[in-house]
Amino acid sequence: MADAATAVAATEMTVEMIKASQLGMKALGAGLAVGLTGIATGIAEMAIGSAAVGATAENKDVFGLVLLLTVIPETIVIFGLVVSLLLLF
Amino acid sequence: MFTPEGMTRVLIAATKSQMEPVIREMYRQHLFHIEEFVEKDKKEYEGYRIGTPLPAANETSRQLLRLRGINNAFMIHEDEAETGGKQKHGHLKELVERELPSIEQEVEDLLSRRAKLDSQIKEYEQKIDALKPFASVPIDLELLRGFQMFSVFCGYISRNISLDIPHEILMSESKKDRFIVLIVPNQDRSIAEQALQNAQFQAVPVPEETGTAASRIGYYEGQVLAVKGELEEINRRLDEIKKRHKDFFLACNELLTADVEMAEAPLRFATTGESFIVEGWVPTERLETFRQGIHYATGGKVYVYELDQSEVEDVAPTEYHNVSFARPTEMLMDVYSRPRYTEIDPTLLISIIFPIFFGIILGDVGYGAILLVLSLGLQRFLKGDEGQKLLKVLRNASISSIIFGVLFSEFFGFSLPWDPILFSRHLNIGGHAGGHGPDVTSLMIMAIWIGVLQITLGRVLGMVNHARQDHGSHRIKAVMANLGWIMVLWGILAMLWAAFPLPFMPDLTGLPPIVMGLNMGSILGLVLILLGVVFIVRDSALEIVELPTILSHVLSYARLVGVGLSSVAIAMVVNFIAIGLIIEPQLESLTAFGVIIVIMGALVFVIGHLLNTILGMLGGGLQSLRLQYVEFFTKFYKGGGKKYTPFGMKKRFMED
Repeated sequence: MADAATAVAATEMTVEMIKASQLGMKALGAGLAVGLTGIATGIAEMAIGSAAVGATAENKDVFGLVLLLTVIPETIVIFGLVVSLLLLF
Repeated sequence: MFTPEGMTRVLIAATKSQMEPVIREMYRQHLFHIEEFVEKDKKEYEGYRIGTPLPAANETSRQLLRLRGINNAFMIHEDEAETGGKQKHGHLKELVERELPSIEQEVEDLLSRRAKLDSQIKEYEQKIDALKPFASVPIDLELLRGFQMFSVFCGYISRNISLDIPHEILMSESKKDRFIVLIVPNQDRSIAEQALQNAQFQAVPVPEETGTAASRIGYYEGQVLAVKGELEEINRRLDEIKKRHKDFFLACNELLTADVEMAEAPLRFATTGESFIVEGWVPTERLETFRQGIHYATGGKVYVYELDQSEVEDVAPTEYHNVSFARPTEMLMDVYSRPRYTEIDPTLLISIIFPIFFGIILGDVGYGAILLVLSLGLQRFLKGDEGQKLLKVLRNASISSIIFGVLFSEFFGFSLPWDPILFSRHLNIGGHAGGHGPDVTSLMIMAIWIGVLQITLGRVLGMVNHARQDHGSHRIKAVMANLGWIMVLWGILAMLWAAFPLPFMPDLTGLPPIVMGLNMGSILGLVLILLGVVFIVRDSALEIVELPTILSHVLSYARLVGVGLSSVAIAMVVNFIAIGLIIEPQLESLTAFGVIIVIMGALVFVIGHLLNTILGMLGGGLQSLRLQYVEFFTKFYKGGGKKYTPFGMKKRFMED
């Protein structure tokens, strides 16, 4: 009985519905790509950032350099962003 | 242009009697970078000792210390000087001898008087504080102490007390606390103490004063006022002195600093009993001027000798030698590391590439214009060399941003009246958005191309650097290894082209297959990769683990598109929220309340774009700088050069 119901449901799926659901999946994937990589970048920058603040407190000259070191993990989230852009467009 | 200023290693030797004129002339010319002499136990150093300061050093240092103390007290800073006219050195020297001591004496007297008055005020205020609790007690203070038969308790309690013993009590209550003066016969003292303890008594000592507390407070407050008046007079006189002599103080500071530096210069020389030697670097172009100056100043009694420097070029100080356009970018180089004397100075390349990258990321006419106005406007307020350079870099970057804004057809996220000339970055955001969305694939390919070209350029520069710096068999290996990296990169590209048709890239898929389904392109790519790997391994086998960085570094340039698109997205979202969701619905039927909403919408618009400007500046600046530092510089640049700091100073307040 249950099998028959799914069969009916499957036949009722129109092409538009499938397309719409695929679009939704794409959007989900894009969101996950940016969100998860964002979290990863955050974790990575956490340690660098705190060390950078410490180093700057001891010697102000290193500010420029540590600012750069802090943004190095940004690559991760940028890859995520690129993936999501490619997914969406 | 791509190399630092040429330096020549120079040795000066003379008798000690010539030491002072030589130091004076070196200081005046501001050209000679002294290599400090370090005593060593080696044979060739035998007999040489570090020199002793000139006789004037002690006295001058003392004078300088005194003057700096005064400058600190006045908080005079060099930047606030109005350099009206420069003083003659000789005249200034005379003034330092004749007038400075008396002015300094006056200032020091005033300062010590001020310190004394300050401490007096503190003393009075402490007395007032001690008296305050007794202000409401209408008894003379001397009546509260000195009894033999009675005990007096003064202090705060938390609740009322009742006593069964003979006593005299005075109580004053305020909102915050209760103050009590209790007098009991000595034999009942313990009972009173017990009762007070139950009421959480906190004792207050009776001040050593005569008369009522209120009158004493009045007296001391009068005293404080009088002292404050005197203080004001002193401050006024100090201000007057500061205003009158500020430039004089700064000029004296410069003169004495110069004198101290000159007097202490022999500490960096090598000396024997009767002679001295000093080694250092002079820009090759100015060598003749320097030599003539020394010759003239000493009447030719000094030996100036050019040393062979092929062995020691590594330790030569680096002075940038750039066209004026690239000069501000030197600041970005110093943030990373100054180039070594022997390596290529990429400042000019960065001064061209950095603004372009910034423009690609923040390509918007509106934001570019804001940053341009900001960088031009701040030039008046920001003092200091570094700040000015930074603003000039920002100015170039914002001009590039405007140019790319025109190419991308963007103005605060809106499109300009023409279609994007380069590629479209317009997103479909908002209720009635149309168009085909951003051309992400083309943009990505563009970013990849930029990456491939810049990394190749970096490796080519690496080949040049290794050819110039290395010696022996390592030299050829290192050059070949850099070539190997280029070959692997282009080999991978060739294989990709042979496998997939990509837009804006050569299409090699159509070539006929030769062996095992591989066509000419794939085979060429494969050969390039294999040869490249061999070259790399010959230099250092460990480098193999770095191979994946070829991909990750090239892909890293995708940030040019990614960060740029996110900035466009934020701009369009701000526009949609402010205009599409808040302002437009109200404009359809405007009411009084609607006007407020419209104003709020305008506020959202301004704040949103302000935030995005800051984000864009940070994102565009940091990300494109990072591409230079991490992706580009790691291919060829070592840095760690010594800054060229010639002996002497830039004179601001005096002239010879």
